[in-house]
Amino acid sequence: MSKQAPGVRIDGLTVVYKTTAGELPAVRDVSLTLEPGSITGIVGESGSGKSTLALSLLNAVQPPGRISAGSVEIDGLGDVVGLRGEQLRKARGKHIGYVFQAAQNSLNPLKTVGKQLLDLGRSHGVEDLRGLVREARELLGRMGLDGARVLDSHQHELSGGMRQRVGIMLALVLNAHVVVLDEPTTALDMITQANILKIVREVHAERGLTTLVITHDIGVVAEVADRLAVMYGGRLVEQGPTREVLGSPRHPYTKGLIRAIPRLVGDIDEAQALPGRPPTLATVPKQGCVFRERCALRMDVCDDVDPEAVLQGTRTVACHAVTVKEHA
Amino acid sequence: MSVLLESSSTSAAMRRNFWAGVWRVMRRKPSRLVGAVLMAGFVFMGAFGPLFYPNPLPRDVDQLTRPPSWEHWLGTDDQGRDVVALVVTGSRYVLLAALVTAVITVVLGTGIGLFSGFKRGRWDTVLMRITDMKLTIPGLPLLLVLSTVWKFSSAVQMGLVLGLLSWGGVARAVRAQTLSLRERGFIEAARGLGLSTSHIVGRELLPSMAPYIAMNMLIAITGGVYSQVGLFFLGVLPYESNNWGQMLNTAVFRSGALTVPSALGFLLGPLLAILLLTLAIVLVVDAMDEIFNPRLREE
Amino acid sequence: MITGTGVVKTFKQRGKVLGARDVQALRGVDFAIPKGGAASFIGESGCGKTTLGRIIAGLETYDEGEVAIDGVAMSGLKPKERQPHFRKIQMIHQDPYSALNPTRTIHQTLHAPLSLRARQTGRSRSWIEERAAEVLSLVGLDPGSVLARYPHQLSGGMRQRVVIARALTVDPEMLVADEAVSMIDVSLRLGILALLKDLRERLGVSVLFITHDVATARYIGDDGELYVIYRGQVVERGSVDTVIADPVHPYTQSLLSAIPVLHGLEQPGEQPVVPLESLDESRSDEGCLFARRCPFRADRCESERPLLQITGGVPQEHACFHPERRSVIARPLSEV
Repeated sequence: MSKQAPGVRIDGLTVVYKTTAGELPAVRDVSLTLEPGSITGIVGESGSGKSTLALSLLNAVQPPGRISAGSVEIDGLGDVVGLRGEQLRKARGKHIGYVFQAAQNSLNPLKTVGKQLLDLGRSHGVEDLRGLVREARELLGRMGLDGARVLDSHQHELSGGMRQRVGIMLALVLNAHVVVLDEPTTALDMITQANILKIVREVHAERGLTTLVITHDIGVVAEVADRLAVMYGGRLVEQGPTREVLGSPRHPYTKGLIRAIPRLVGDIDEAQALPGRPPTLATVPKQGCVFRERCALRMDVCDDVDPEAVLQGTRTVACHAVTVKEHA
Repeated sequence: MSVLLESSSTSAAMRRNFWAGVWRVMRRKPSRLVGAVLMAGFVFMGAFGPLFYPNPLPRDVDQLTRPPSWEHWLGTDDQGRDVVALVVTGSRYVLLAALVTAVITVVLGTGIGLFSGFKRGRWDTVLMRITDMKLTIPGLPLLLVLSTVWKFSSAVQMGLVLGLLSWGGVARAVRAQTLSLRERGFIEAARGLGLSTSHIVGRELLPSMAPYIAMNMLIAITGGVYSQVGLFFLGVLPYESNNWGQMLNTAVFRSGALTVPSALGFLLGPLLAILLLTLAIVLVVDAMDEIFNPRLREE
Repeated sequence: MITGTGVVKTFKQRGKVLGARDVQALRGVDFAIPKGGAASFIGESGCGKTTLGRIIAGLETYDEGEVAIDGVAMSGLKPKERQPHFRKIQMIHQDPYSALNPTRTIHQTLHAPLSLRARQTGRSRSWIEERAAEVLSLVGLDPGSVLARYPHQLSGGMRQRVVIARALTVDPEMLVADEAVSMIDVSLRLGILALLKDLRERLGVSVLFITHDVATARYIGDDGELYVIYRGQVVERGSVDTVIADPVHPYTQSLLSAIPVLHGLEQPGEQPVVPLESLDESRSDEGCLFARRCPFRADRCESERPLLQITGGVPQEHACFHPERRSVIARPLSEV
């Protein structure tokens, strides 16, 4: 805990997938900085490239995908994109903890949690396995579980919320200080979700982490994240401090997304679905703005020119219409 | 009316699409085409092969048990007959029996498995106990016993017996598939809509299992070939027409192919045929998943 | 009109000789969903809401109590006789991916129930094709471009529309939507909710919405009724707006408190209720079912079970000895 939270700088990252139609970008020219000690939330629908981006942080994009350009610099580790083999394996877990999508189901059903913990420790050459178990018990206890009992349990003996906590424990137990949570609360109930989010917030603060939360649910980000980044069609279309982005979204997609959230109060007709549907890898426009098909502010220039991400105060927005307005 | 016409033309178009899709899938890997060509070759051999040769085959008493030569590609047997001719004429019995075995295995196995998995409850228990009992009967000893009373002179009889002995595994597997499929949303929806059981089983369940059933069918063919060749090779069955198993038997036990090099071709002939048939089937099975899945067929 | 009185469902655990524990999925539930009306079942997973929905759709049996469709009691009928009644109630599944047969085109998927319906009502074959196009248009799809496609060629939102169209082929009186939008892209969810609301208004189909997300339940219609279900018991029941704005049961309050607050747009409620976390799996069936997790429990709650009723000057039915209004939901900043 003496170690300071590391910063992460993603610069010009492009990840392509090889398909019959050639190499298509799932993530295109994304630059994003995770400030040391912050929680950043990435919001996007299916096919937005958010999970691919998260995997790039571990340099774990599986073929047919590959990182074709850009870098991911992590303090104290260097450029992850350049790491190979053993170095990379050591970095995962020790520097970067990853809680996988559907972590509820990512445990080995045949082994107790404790056995899996020891496997993890051995594969990372941990000498003090006793210490590792102690650390795991503490972490679980911190998250409101009976550590000893959980370590003795098999996956099927744990509820969804408990499994998610075990996932977080396994990501943190090797003392990683960069943590990626991919859809941490999907398939969980509201109350369990609220609990998990509270734990994420608390553990983040206590252990001095730099956290990245990937989700399709703006509500999750709103609850935990300091900064919010919105992805669409492989592009990062808007990012900034969570409250500001939610309070006054600028990119038309962010606006639409927020307006599409069902709320508990207010006129129900105020909430509106976005027209059209999110693009897939094959249908993302190769040229011009990725969002133009569903955009109300579409202009001629959107067809040909991909909008640059422009810094506006604390916010970065990639939209021609917004940029034009700012300059006018 | 125009709508009606449109729909009948869509179904014709879909059929066209299916075969275009099959072609696409086969073309994806050259090995699949090789398999398909080999298989077509075997079908042709079984159906028309014997017509190219006189019956009985001519014997050349000067050429007893000869090694391969230009005249006899795989040599001759101990009666001076050409081994290639023997393999070709012997294929009909083997392939027909294997086909009958496979059809019975798959039809019985699928039928029982589907019924058992779909009905569940008492029917399931009874049918599965029967299946278990059947599975515990060791096939080969039973066949040996059977062969003492029954001569298996026709390929259909042979296939029938083998088929009746081998549906158990398929039934169990199909039942398991049915049990998991029937929990899927679309089966439940079909029940909720009030669609008939025959529709649900025939139009919803079966097509979803088609790749699986086709695969089992192909594998059952190899199984059928192995068991009957094995039986004839062991020499427990009298034979009236030549077939691959009987050739192996004669090659090993009469011509001593394991020690006499000149009889090697005699041994190699049927072995090569079995090897190629297995290869053809393995290569084609690889394509089944993609053929019956509309998504994989298309991409 | 579909009504239920005292519906009980127990799942028997088989296979275990010792320590076999039956799971009480429903402990005597009453409900009434009027023709053209709307109702929502709210609760955590495992609370019994899905089981109840499946019972209503005829996909599951019940052990005690009675379900009646348009006044006809179902328990007295043979399975074959029930079918025409349950036809009126169609289920929309959560997962639009498994709800459509991947090997059948949309045309084939719609054709089967339509030809059955044509036989029942003595209509011609051309009606089938017309109706197929009609139901697709009703759910906002273009028949020309969708009919010949396979499910995998459609997006999640379009599939869910096809699922709804398929349900409409048999002229249902009620749609049971079980978490029908939870697997759909966020930007498209509202479209599906609006469609269900629209079908209600245009066709007079009643909608039963089952979800753990209270906010979506509002979108089926503000005249709808909300049933909050906890461990097989309805703990609060009333009109959507009343229950959301003035919940009195601590469980409802904790459900509402758990909804993420959009900081920057909203202000959290002043009295959020966080349920005590009960990690003890051996749940006691004594007293109030929620007592173990209730931050406000009293002695009486441990020994006696409250029944669903109207007391204490509260407009909605509730099953709590100490109903109390608490301000739990987030309010828009613009209103504060």
